[in-house]
Amino acid sequence: MISLTNLILVFLFGSVVSYLLTKSNRVLGSIFNFLLTAYALYEIWNLNINYSEKLFGLFNNLESTFKVTYLGKYFALVSMIIISFVAFFIIEWIKKKGIKPAAFNAFMLIMISGVLGVFFANDLLTLYIFWELAVLGSFLIVPMGKEDSKKAAVIYAVTSAIGSYMYLYATFAIFKRYGVLSFEQVSQQLVNDSSLFKWFIILFIASAGIAKSGIFPLHTWLRITHGNAPDAFSAVLSGQLVKMGSYVLAIAISVFPTVQMFSSFYHGIPLLNYLLIWLGNISILIGTFMAIRQNDMKQLIAFSSIANGGYILVGLGTMNSIGYAGGLFHVFNHAIAAAMIFLSFAAVVYRTGTTKIDEMGGLIWRMPWTFVTYLVGIISLAGIPPTSGFISKWMIFSALVNKGMFITLAITFIGSVGSFLYVFRPLAGVFLGQLKRKHADVKEVPGIMLIPMLLFVVLVLFIGVYPKPVLDYISSIEKVLGIKPISYSGFEIVTPLGKWNTLTVFTMFAVGFIIATVLYLIFPRGKRVELTDQYTGGDYLYNYDLYHYATGFYRFIERLYDRHPSFEKLYGMLAVFFRSIGDIVTDLIYKPSPSGYVFWISVVILIIYWVRW
Amino acid sequence: MTILKVIAVLLTGFFVGLTLEGIARKIMARVQRRYGPPWYQNFIDVFKALSKRGISHGWIFDFGILMALGGVIATLAFVPLGDLVAFPGLDNIFIIVYLFAVGALGMAMGMVGSGNPNASIGVARALTQMLGYELPYLISIAGVLYYYKTSSVSGLMMAQQDTWTLFKMPIGGIVAFVSLLGMLGKKPFDTPIAPAEIASGPMVELSAKYMGLLMLMHTFSIFVEIGLFVDIFLGVSNYFTFLLKFTIVWIIATLISSVLPRFRIEQVVKFYWKVPLSLAFVQVLFVLLGWVF
Repeated sequence: MISLTNLILVFLFGSVVSYLLTKSNRVLGSIFNFLLTAYALYEIWNLNINYSEKLFGLFNNLESTFKVTYLGKYFALVSMIIISFVAFFIIEWIKKKGIKPAAFNAFMLIMISGVLGVFFANDLLTLYIFWELAVLGSFLIVPMGKEDSKKAAVIYAVTSAIGSYMYLYATFAIFKRYGVLSFEQVSQQLVNDSSLFKWFIILFIASAGIAKSGIFPLHTWLRITHGNAPDAFSAVLSGQLVKMGSYVLAIAISVFPTVQMFSSFYHGIPLLNYLLIWLGNISILIGTFMAIRQNDMKQLIAFSSIANGGYILVGLGTMNSIGYAGGLFHVFNHAIAAAMIFLSFAAVVYRTGTTKIDEMGGLIWRMPWTFVTYLVGIISLAGIPPTSGFISKWMIFSALVNKGMFITLAITFIGSVGSFLYVFRPLAGVFLGQLKRKHADVKEVPGIMLIPMLLFVVLVLFIGVYPKPVLDYISSIEKVLGIKPISYSGFEIVTPLGKWNTLTVFTMFAVGFIIATVLYLIFPRGKRVELTDQYTGGDYLYNYDLYHYATGFYRFIERLYDRHPSFEKLYGMLAVFFRSIGDIVTDLIYKPSPSGYVFWISVVILIIYWVRW
Repeated sequence: MTILKVIAVLLTGFFVGLTLEGIARKIMARVQRRYGPPWYQNFIDVFKALSKRGISHGWIFDFGILMALGGVIATLAFVPLGDLVAFPGLDNIFIIVYLFAVGALGMAMGMVGSGNPNASIGVARALTQMLGYELPYLISIAGVLYYYKTSSVSGLMMAQQDTWTLFKMPIGGIVAFVSLLGMLGKKPFDTPIAPAEIASGPMVELSAKYMGLLMLMHTFSIFVEIGLFVDIFLGVSNYFTFLLKFTIVWIIATLISSVLPRFRIEQVVKFYWKVPLSLAFVQVLFVLLGWVF
């Protein structure tokens, strides 16, 4: 077994190797990347719980260590499954011109080393260091996408920085007050602390997670960044990187036990968690309603990631056996579903070169397997049995009903029913309907790209029928964190409200399908006609491209909230404000005399030093 | 045993469902001072449609119809018909509601797969309408779940030994019934079909056996929707009293729908989110405060 430090070093040095290899041959470098990630997946799979390792010591009382916990291992496994599948997808995808393959592969490995460090860090500072490494790697990949993706990268970095600097500030504050940084010691100190200090600590630490997992009010970067990042990387961004935020949120509210730290506010939910649940609620609403409006398929799923981040936060925030388990299970489900959907979009863009829903149509006739991936992905995202997506949504609903939180419940229902609406839009617009003439000779993507997509399909269905492997992890996590573990046995999941059986549901679904097929087969076969042979109410069709209904698919409901308030606009206004202040300073001070400018800067620095803010 | 029960549920759905649809046509005709077709007209329709040679628009069209019918059959198997429960203890309300969505998704996919814009508009409207009625419905149901502390449908039914939930939570019952009208696609909530505007919407390209299979799906879905309402709100019932209550609810829904005009789609959503949703919240507030009769 390789030590964790060495594993991370392998990735860091591997990035240089990958860069050189990809320079000589794109495919070779990507194969190297895939082998490395698959190896890391294997290693992490075999890691022992509570295995710890010293990384470096800064001062006498401050050591940076790695420790394998159930929580970290769960997140790391989900991440590495996503990353290694996507890495396999990239082997073929990288052949496409337009991105810088060598830099792409190298930064990918840097990002992965950061990700691994985050999930195994045992103290706040180590987590921060690797967090920034992961952000750095991903930040450098984002501008390789579309034309305006440089701006997207800046917005991504700035939003991420807001969260991580608040986190860093909390870390320093903790160190100054208690002189410790490891999670266990800090949580002991915080539980015993009676002042308001813990409010500020938990909120500031959570804010890193809020920024990263796209929770309101720091959600605006997802649309821009997910929409403009390179297509295959969007799958990692939405499937994996966003889950780092969920990890930090889980740390902020469960590793530092908020239940013990804050007084109960409503049915055993601490006040702080209640606040976070409301942030999650607002994210669900924003994500759902804005996703319904989108015409760009990648931005549509980016908004859905905001909504699902909200789901995870609501689940974790309840801090009750079944709700917390639902939140953790949703991490897995959304990771897989988002990766599937973004990979199928990457396949579509690979062949058609556009992400606009209304510029496509009828691709199912040319790319059936991509369609299957997308279909199973959205069934899981919308939480329909027998896919795994249902299990987590059901857990969250059960927890909310059990606690009598009806407004949150209503909002999660909006998110759930609304997800039928928005996932159907690309389904109808991109895959169904009339094939556009310009896409007449589009082909299915090559086998190497299909394999990871179809493996995801198998995984989603398998976990949907047999959720035990994931539930095992979740119940262990809950046991360690002092939450009552969920009860389940094989195919059956039990809550205080009742139970259901995954296998029965799957069997019944299969039976229903068989009955329908038998009925279908015994009656006479229909004549196959083209999609151009339509009922038109007597009109003559002369342009089949225009006969496809995809523009303004939900116009009638969008009209109801056309004049919605927008945080994106607010942030835009702030940006303009600061830019104009900068302009004024430049015009008034810098342009007349640069030396005066330097003088004033020195004065300001001296004042700051003197006041010691 | 389970297999026999599932078969019994499905056969009840088929025979009673088609009969009731025929009766509903008769009643509607009488309200509108027509004579109306005989009660067995729907059996004739289904078998005639099934036996014809129609047209298909490719594999996704066929697959969508199979998924629609299969999903609804699977859902129906989980609905308890009075004391006829195929899967005791496993008939979770969320399972039924979400498994039901498989049928809806299958139908939507197949019909949009036909490539007719009228079908797409109909499906978009149907999904929007779903966003309207599901919310008040699920909230009022959630109040019931919270009160009885179980999410098993047969458990909810057995919990009403002393009084019906409809009388314990009258506001929630009314909300659920109004939502039920939307679920059934009865007027004034038949916007997705709207024959005069969008040529029957989703069904525009259907013919012959495809039409027949979807008529079956429609029959079964009526059974799921009304069956849930009867089980949750109308007290303990055995198989026969269940069918009696079912018939009464169905007839009331038919009578209401036969005299009303149609909402526009955004009016549907606005209506559901204004009136029934606020009433549902009032009901759950009563439940939380313990004001249950």
